[in-house]
Amino acid sequence: MSHDAPSSLDAIIAAYKATLDQSLIRRSLQRTIEERLETLMQLQEFAEELRRAGRAVRVG
Amino acid sequence: MTDFKALLRALADGGVEFILVGGVAATVHGSSRLTVDVDAVYRRTRENIDRLVLALTSYRPYLRGAPPGLPFRWDAATIKGGLNFTLTTDVGDVDLLGEITGGGGYDSLVPATVSIRVFGVECRCLTLDKLIEVKRAAGRPKDFEAIAELEAIREERKDRR
Repeated sequence: MSHDAPSSLDAIIAAYKATLDQSLIRRSLQRTIEERLETLMQLQEFAEELRRAGRAVRVG
Repeated sequence: MTDFKALLRALADGGVEFILVGGVAATVHGSSRLTVDVDAVYRRTRENIDRLVLALTSYRPYLRGAPPGLPFRWDAATIKGGLNFTLTTDVGDVDLLGEITGGGGYDSLVPATVSIRVFGVECRCLTLDKLIEVKRAAGRPKDFEAIAELEAIREERKDRR
């Protein structure tokens, strides 16, 4: 068996890669590290707010 | 919500030797994926463990997901007696790792790091190549999409040069 043959992991990653939004990557690379981390914190806050809203619907 | 600014400042200002790995390291390199904790490999010397304890004590670290009231003590003896700690703190979640799969500990990872300045402090972050390598070595299905994005980022950067 050749060790140079692509692994099934390569095939899986290639399949995921084909679905990526390249424009999102380009946009992210234009930001500074600090801007990316700030965006990440905003995203967390947004996700938490959605979870709260979801819980309220289930309880109500 | 994890306050990345507070956690990174606490560790860096406390003189802790650590390396950013995982999702935050991916963000540093350009990832847009959501991550909710800070993953950091810390150096397991006695001095650094003491600094780590001091740096985070005021944020009251506790075992994440564990029931309240366990006799967990955030001190040097606890850290020396363990290796990897999955913690929650007053400023968010942090995974403190003595070693990572495919990368080993702090000293073996240092050559594969870049120094970054963020939120007014200097810290070390795994290089993009090493981050991809360790995520591939870990082989966790949840990482496959993240690896794909990181590899796409690497290709995009090459194209820009």
